[in-house]
Amino acid sequence: MSRPSHASLTRIEEIAGAENVLTDSAGIAARAVCGVRPAIVVRPADGSQIAEVLRFAASEKLAVIPTGGCTKLGIGSPPSRYDIALDVSRLNSVLAYDPKDLTLGVEPGMRIADLLSRLAEQKQFLPLAVPFSERATIGGVVAANSSSPLRHAYGAVRDFCLGMEFVTGEGAQAKSGGRVVKNVTGYDLHKLLIGSLGTLAVITRVNFRTFPLPQAQGTFVASFPTPEGAFEFCRSVAHSALTPQIVEVADPGAGQLIFSGEASARIMPEHWSVVISAAGQHAVVDRYSRELGRLAEAAKAAEFHPIDEVAQSSILARIREFPRLALEAVPDAAIFRISALPASMPSLMAKLGAVAKQNYVEVATLTRASGIVYAAFVPTGERPVSVVCLTTMIPEVFDVCAQPELQASAMLEWCPSEIKTSADVVWGPSRPDFELMRRVKNSFDPQNILAPGRFAGGI
Amino acid sequence: MQTQLISELLALLGPTAVLSSREDLMLYEYDGSVELGSPRCVVFPSSTQDVAAIVRLANRYETPIVGRGSGTGLSGGAIARNGGIVIVFSRMNRILQIDEANLRAVVQPGVVNLDLSRAVEHLKLFFAPDPSSQKACTIGGNVSENSGGPHTLAYGVTTNHVTGLELVLPDGEIVRIGGKNIETSGYDLGGLMVGSEGTLALVTEITVRLMRKPEAVKTLLAVYDTLDDTTESVVDITVRAITPAACEMLDGFTLRAVEDYVHAGFPKDCAAVLLIEVEGLMEAVQAQAAEISEVCREHRAREVREARSDQERNLLWRGRKEAFGAMGRISPMYYVQDGVIPRTRLPETLRRIEEISIKYNLQIGNIFHAGDGNLHPLILFDERDREQFARVVAAGGEIMRHCVEVGGALTGEHGIGMEKNELMPLIFTPDDLALMERVRAAFNPAGRLNPGKVLPMGKACGEIRVPHVPAAAAIST
Repeated sequence: MSRPSHASLTRIEEIAGAENVLTDSAGIAARAVCGVRPAIVVRPADGSQIAEVLRFAASEKLAVIPTGGCTKLGIGSPPSRYDIALDVSRLNSVLAYDPKDLTLGVEPGMRIADLLSRLAEQKQFLPLAVPFSERATIGGVVAANSSSPLRHAYGAVRDFCLGMEFVTGEGAQAKSGGRVVKNVTGYDLHKLLIGSLGTLAVITRVNFRTFPLPQAQGTFVASFPTPEGAFEFCRSVAHSALTPQIVEVADPGAGQLIFSGEASARIMPEHWSVVISAAGQHAVVDRYSRELGRLAEAAKAAEFHPIDEVAQSSILARIREFPRLALEAVPDAAIFRISALPASMPSLMAKLGAVAKQNYVEVATLTRASGIVYAAFVPTGERPVSVVCLTTMIPEVFDVCAQPELQASAMLEWCPSEIKTSADVVWGPSRPDFELMRRVKNSFDPQNILAPGRFAGGI
Repeated sequence: MQTQLISELLALLGPTAVLSSREDLMLYEYDGSVELGSPRCVVFPSSTQDVAAIVRLANRYETPIVGRGSGTGLSGGAIARNGGIVIVFSRMNRILQIDEANLRAVVQPGVVNLDLSRAVEHLKLFFAPDPSSQKACTIGGNVSENSGGPHTLAYGVTTNHVTGLELVLPDGEIVRIGGKNIETSGYDLGGLMVGSEGTLALVTEITVRLMRKPEAVKTLLAVYDTLDDTTESVVDITVRAITPAACEMLDGFTLRAVEDYVHAGFPKDCAAVLLIEVEGLMEAVQAQAAEISEVCREHRAREVREARSDQERNLLWRGRKEAFGAMGRISPMYYVQDGVIPRTRLPETLRRIEEISIKYNLQIGNIFHAGDGNLHPLILFDERDREQFARVVAAGGEIMRHCVEVGGALTGEHGIGMEKNELMPLIFTPDDLALMERVRAAFNPAGRLNPGKVLPMGKACGEIRVPHVPAAAAIST
C-alpha cells in the first residue's frame, strides 16, 4: 500500500464528494484484498465519476480495485499495489427491465438477492444461484464468474449476458454487446470482463436475458457407497432424455455440509450423494421422479428419495453456498475450482484424495456434473504445520490436473493469504496463452492500475 | 515481387494448392453478400503448420491474409478487400475426434456444419448451431461469424458451443486457448475470438460441444391473414414465457416464392406463417404445443397445423432454409439484412419495413428468426439497374437505423464484415471503437489479417457504402 498524497485525496474528494471518500480503518479493512489494504475508499455516484477517478488514478499511477459486497475479495493473487478501493455500491439500480422481452439492464452494485426478488415479481429469474448470495452484488458475481449449480441447464454468465458498459483503466467509458438476445455487432469485449476480477475495467452496467420461473420443481437425492457408482448414475442421466436443472455430486465430506436436519438423517455419512433438481410442468417433474428412480436402481444406489419442499430449499441453498460454508467451517481451507470432463471425474476424485492424504489434509468435493468441481482441502493439524501442508500440496493439485489423461483446468479460489506468495500459487504454472491475456490487459489498462497482480500470470 | 510470393507459395504447398490465374481467382472474389474484392492468390493449406508457414510468408511480403471457408458469409467477411492471399480451409476438413462420453468433438475449420451433425447422428447427438447454409458452410466460418440459425433460440449461437480453439496468430505463432473443459482459468479469450470475423487470428482447430437429441419434437405451422396478428403472436409467446426451440416467420410474398419452388404445402393466399418447433421431454412438448396453439388462435391464426411425420416436418424446414434460394427464381438479386430488435418491437418494425418498401418502390420479403427478434428483410433488385440499386442501399440503411432506434443492433448473426463496418458508429461511440481497435491491434498489430472488416475505416460516419455492382447471385443464408 502506497499512501496517496494529500493532493490526491483532495482531488478524489472533488470528484465524488468528501462524504463519499472514506479513510476510516474499518472501511479500509473491509476492502482488503488478500491482506493488502487500500489507502482510501471512494464511492462514486455513476459511470462518469468512475471515469474521472480512473483518469486521475491513471495519471498518478494509483492502483484501483473495484469492490461491491466485499464477499469475494479473497479470490485471486495478492495485488502488487492497491491505493484506492472503488466501491460501486451506490450504482445499485435496475436501469431497464422489459419482462415482456425477457431482458434486463442492471448496475453492478445491486445485490443479487434484491435483483432476484425483483424478477420474481414478474415470475422470472436469473440462473445465478451463487455463493454469498445475501451480500454479493452483480458486479462481483460477474467479475468473479461465480459458479452456479444452475449452469447445468442455463449456462454460465457468458451464455446469458448480452452486453456491458464499463470504464477502462484509462478512464474511458465504453461498451460492447447490447440488450438484444442475439447480436454479433462488434467484438464481444464484455466476455473478457467475466471472471477478470476487476483487472480490465470497472463494470457499470450489465445486460442479461432473464428466464421464466418454472411452474414446479422437484429435487431428488440418490446415495452411493462409491464415487464410481455416483458418477455412473450421472452418466446414465446424461445419456437419458432427461435434462435436469441441477446435477451435483457431494462426497461424504461435502455431504456433511450440504445436508442438515432431517435430510442428513437419511444420508449415510460415508456415502456419495447425487442431488438432482428438475423443473417444468407438474407432469414433467413426475416423469423425473419415475425415471430417476429407475436409473438410480440400475446404478445400484443405496438409497433414492425425493425431498420435500422445505428440505429442498435448504439443500439447494447449501449447495449454492458451498464455498462459504466450507470457509466458515474451516477458515484455513484451500478451495480449488476445477473444470474437468465428466468421464474423468472418478479418476480426478481418486487423485485429489491421494494428494490430500499424502499431505495430511482432508478433502471435500462438490462436483457439478456439467464439469465444475469445488475441492476444499482442509488441514487436520494446527498452524503453522497446517499451512506448510497446504503449501506443499497446492502445486501437486495443479500437477494432477495437468496430467494428460485428466486435462483439467484448476484455479485456487480460496486459501489463507500467507500461502499466496506468487500468482502461480493461485493460477497454476504459466501457460502459452497468458501472453495473449497480457496483451488484452494492456489494451484495456495500459497504465496497469486496475488490480495489478491479482490475475493469472501476474497480470 | 508478387510473382516471387506465388513461387514461394508453390514451393511451400505444391502446385495443386495455389491458384493465381485470373479465371480461378474470380471464383473467390465474392461470397454470399453483395460485396466484391479480388485476391492476388488463393491457397489451400492441409495443416496448421501450412497455415503458420503461409502467414510467415505473407508477413515477409507484407501481404494481407483473409481466411475463408465455403464463402457463404453474408457480410463480405471472407472477401479480400485489399487483395493479398485468401486462405481457403476446405482441405482441412477432418473431424479429428468425437468424444461421446464428454459430448465434445474436435474438428478442423473446413468441416461442413451439417457433416458434423451427420457424423454423430448414430449417437443421437448433434451440433446445435444450424445456419440455413449448414449444408455448405464450415465450422471455421461459424466460429468467425458466431453463426446462429433457427434453433439457436433454444440452444444458443456458436459461441455457446465452442470450448477450445487452436489459433495461428498474425505473426505465425500457434497457440491453443481453452480445451474440452467447460471453462479454463484466465480471461475468456475464446469468447473474444468467436465472432471476431477472422480479424484477430486464424482458427485451425475447434473443440465444440455436442448436444443430445431431444426425445420429442413437434413442429407447428400457424397461418395468418394479417402481419400484425402474426407478430403479436410472437410477442405473446415470449411474454407467456413459452420457450420454443425455434420460432420462424415467413411473410406471404416469400411464402409464395418458396411454395412454388419447394411444394411444402404452405398456403399461398395468407399474409404470413409462423413455423414453430418445440422440443424436449414428451410431456413438456405436449403442453407447450398446446399452449402455443392457443396463443396463435387467440391472435386469429386461421389455421394451426402440426407436422404429422418427419417427412412433413423436413419439408416445412426445407421451405424455410431454402427460401433465399427460392428468391432467385423471382428476382435476379437480393440484398439481405440482419437487423435485430427487442422482441416486443416486432409489430411496429414490420409495419416500418412495409412503409420503407412503399417509399422506395421496392419489393421486400420477410423471412426470419422471429423468436429472437432477428430480422432478415430481403430487398429484391436487378443489379443492371443502377438507379434501383441506389434505392436498395438507401432502404437497407433506413431499416438498419430503425433497428438501432428501437434499441436493437446492426447484425444478429451475419456479421459486420465490410458491409456494415461504416455503420458501427450508429451503435458505438468513438471510445467504444477505439478500445475495439486496440484489442484488434493487440492480436493483429500490422492490420494484415482480414483488413477493412468489422471496424470503420474512417469514412463518413453512418453512411452505408454503395458496393460494387455485384457479379454473382447470392447463395442461401
